[in-house]
Amino acid sequence: MKFISFFLAFLITAALAIVISIPIKQIPPLAPLLDPHHGFWQNTLSEDQLAKEEISLKNLSAPVEVVYDENLIPHIFAENEEDLYRAQGYVTAQHRLWQMEFQTMAAAGRISEIVGPMALDLDRMTRRKGLAFGAELGLKFLRENDPKTLALVEAYADGVNQYIDQLTPARLPVEYKILNYRPEPWSAFKSLLLLKYMSDMLVGDRDLEFTNLRAILGESKLNKLFPEFPKDNDPVIEASRVWDFSPISVTLPDSIAYPNEPLITAPLPQPVEGTGSNNWAVAGKKTKNGNPILANDPHLSLNLPSLWYSMQLTTPEHSVKGATLPGALGVISGFNENIAWGVTNATKDARDWYKISFQDEGRKAYKFGDEWRPTQERIEEIKIKGEKPFLDTVIYTHYGPVVYDRSFRGDRQDVNFALKWTVHEGSNEQRTFLEMNKAKNYADYNSALDHYSAPAQNFVFASKSGDIAMRIQGKFPLKWKGQGKFFMDGANPKMEWQGYIPNSQNPSTLNPERGFVSSANQHPVDPSYPYYVFDNSYEHYRNRRINNRLREMEQITVEDMKSLQFDDYNLQASEALPLMINYLGVHKAGTPEAEKYLKELGEWNYMAAPNQKAQTLYSIWFAETAESIWQELRSYEAPLLSPNSYQTIQLMSNSPKDSVFDIRNTPTLETAEYHVRAGFDSLLVAMKKWEETEGDYSWANYKKTSIQHLVPNFKSFSVSNIYTGGGSGMVNATGSRHGASWRMVVELGEEVQAFGIYPGGQSGNPGSKFYANFISKWANGEYLNFNLRTQDQSEGVLFQTRLK
Amino acid sequence: MRFILLTIVVVLLVVFLGPLVPYWVLMIGVGILSALILPTGFGGFMGGGLGMGFSWIGISIYLGLTTASPLPDKMGELFGGVSGMTLVGIVGVLGFLLGGFSGLSGVLFRKMITPRAKNIYRGS
Repeated sequence: MKFISFFLAFLITAALAIVISIPIKQIPPLAPLLDPHHGFWQNTLSEDQLAKEEISLKNLSAPVEVVYDENLIPHIFAENEEDLYRAQGYVTAQHRLWQMEFQTMAAAGRISEIVGPMALDLDRMTRRKGLAFGAELGLKFLRENDPKTLALVEAYADGVNQYIDQLTPARLPVEYKILNYRPEPWSAFKSLLLLKYMSDMLVGDRDLEFTNLRAILGESKLNKLFPEFPKDNDPVIEASRVWDFSPISVTLPDSIAYPNEPLITAPLPQPVEGTGSNNWAVAGKKTKNGNPILANDPHLSLNLPSLWYSMQLTTPEHSVKGATLPGALGVISGFNENIAWGVTNATKDARDWYKISFQDEGRKAYKFGDEWRPTQERIEEIKIKGEKPFLDTVIYTHYGPVVYDRSFRGDRQDVNFALKWTVHEGSNEQRTFLEMNKAKNYADYNSALDHYSAPAQNFVFASKSGDIAMRIQGKFPLKWKGQGKFFMDGANPKMEWQGYIPNSQNPSTLNPERGFVSSANQHPVDPSYPYYVFDNSYEHYRNRRINNRLREMEQITVEDMKSLQFDDYNLQASEALPLMINYLGVHKAGTPEAEKYLKELGEWNYMAAPNQKAQTLYSIWFAETAESIWQELRSYEAPLLSPNSYQTIQLMSNSPKDSVFDIRNTPTLETAEYHVRAGFDSLLVAMKKWEETEGDYSWANYKKTSIQHLVPNFKSFSVSNIYTGGGSGMVNATGSRHGASWRMVVELGEEVQAFGIYPGGQSGNPGSKFYANFISKWANGEYLNFNLRTQDQSEGVLFQTRLK
Repeated sequence: MRFILLTIVVVLLVVFLGPLVPYWVLMIGVGILSALILPTGFGGFMGGGLGMGFSWIGISIYLGLTTASPLPDKMGELFGGVSGMTLVGIVGVLGFLLGGFSGLSGVLFRKMITPRAKNIYRGS
């Protein structure tokens, strides 16, 4: 009897212990998560409550001091670079380990390992784009060409790994606890993969859509709706720039036969609309203090933990501060005692697609000219949580991986398409940032950029010695006019890229007469540049607003530059709205709602402030008008593009009776006026619904800016409905899910004065008071002091740690 | 009295050993303490349960108060839209069940291995 009693009690106890220690479907093991000593409760502690005066870090040649300021920004003081980057790896992992690992797992196509089969399709796509393949080539390149940089990347990895080894269950980031997995060792490969991930985030192509448009519209109408240069081109490199080099000639094939059948496959995921950035530098002759001022605000998806992590990195030779990417070495956008630099995306159709003709079903060879070239197989083993691994065979050609084939999104088609882009070539972006961090002058900046391939960036520069510069740097293929705009025939050798534009012939400018340089993802150059330039996503408004302001501004101060970064002026509305009101005429005149909305629109100063209602009305009216104009293009089953807002407004303004406005299946001839009125009718319907359900239609309430946790299901770790202005096409490009992911303004005087902010916080821990503490300042256009600190500076210190 | 003693000793065990070991080691510890102190079966269940349950509630509330962190509420929202305080209650119940059954098992184990005394005069 006693035995039975014990046995029963023990059985219940053991069963209880087991049930709460294993995951049940999507529910993580309860006991490790809820145990107050090891579970999520431990993540309620903020970093200052866990501060240690001394931490053991092996393989250092001398102790490293880490001084945290009151915003938890670490200032690392090391005796040499290897110690510095080892410490950077350790400190970054302390605050952002889950994020850096999650991002590299996403880049490697390994999300299924964490969340299960729901991510399999995403992982297959990621792997078929070959990001990991590109990182492997990058690592090979470092091993063969740059062992010094590799040693630093490995020191960083060692720092991360020492942190992982010291990690107790209590200190494990809460996301690991919820998703029930553990961090794995970091490696140099992962740091390189992260930079490939940035390429994937920033580079897009519309070859599929343009191929379809060409087949449907014909070349002439395509060129009319999608001109390669806009009327108001205000390019990155000033239009007056004279190109003082002899360009390499590019041979245009005698005849170009594009694969011409409309394609109904789904296009690759594109960079999120609104992804873009601003940067500029003004020369001392335009500033109040006579010092150059540099500003940079990259616009990316707004996520938590924030993409950026601020740091100061100091050795006896240099001291640099700014925004780092957790997982990559050095500072990406920042300044040191002598120079400042910043980046914006310089997209230029960097991805091209080739139709592959295989010899037979075995896909062992493909046609290239008169020969059959052998393919290579890469077996991708995708581990899936709770299931057997999935094996995906990806065929590689000399162009790159065959992304779409019979086993992946090939249900409709018998064709195969290989992807070619510079991510698949060995490169050394990391070295660019390592050298830039130490650069002292324009020559150092230029030499650092020579190592940079992808994603192409507009690198702005200013130095204490008074120089300002801009260089568009990337590895740009030599293309004949039109090459890469459409899918190409991979069997025809004439479709090959014919080499690369030399770095020295990439567009650049130094100390231009106008006294400023700027970029905002617009066309890089004017048509006089001797190489083919094409991309569908060039900006048409932010660039003109910035340049207009910089042209008219004099006696510029840091405060002026902060105001310009937070500028909410809607240039597009200022050009389109008077036209739209004119075309509307007396349509709906006399109805109270129409009168109310038109009054608000008529009184609008075109500033998209958070409390502004007219901005909401305009954005809906214009979107509905464009929807009406391009309704036929949007009715096709095949993926197509509509002309951008700029071109739409140009057509509305310059040729309102053009046939593009006519809707074919109606007996009447529609004009731009018809669509503006139809758009207004739709506005009235949309606003009626909005006012009934939501009430307030002020801009901030309508656009609902939110900063989302990297796992979208973790809604409570996100911050929603942020009260802030701006929007797409405005200098303050804060939309609902994207915007300025980092704002920096630096004045390069005798003492460098720097200010920065980003929408997040230094901690990656959602339980920390430093997780989202910058957001309200960022939303109000405020900045943190980002001046360089010395090791002995005592004011504003949160805590200090010695690594030894 | 033994029940009260067990409760106090379990609280000390959970508070001081808890940060160093996983919860299942604590369960074994509660079982051993319960077997050593040997209250009644009910006393073992309640002593282990209340000791561990109250300790876990206490630590959770202490962390919540000293950090003022929004995380308990965020976690509650993530797990079905409950509040942070509800999670504290769930932690308490979980601690109570783990400690309670561990305590009961300890008492019953001790009773099982203790031989029944044979030299007691039971009358005729």
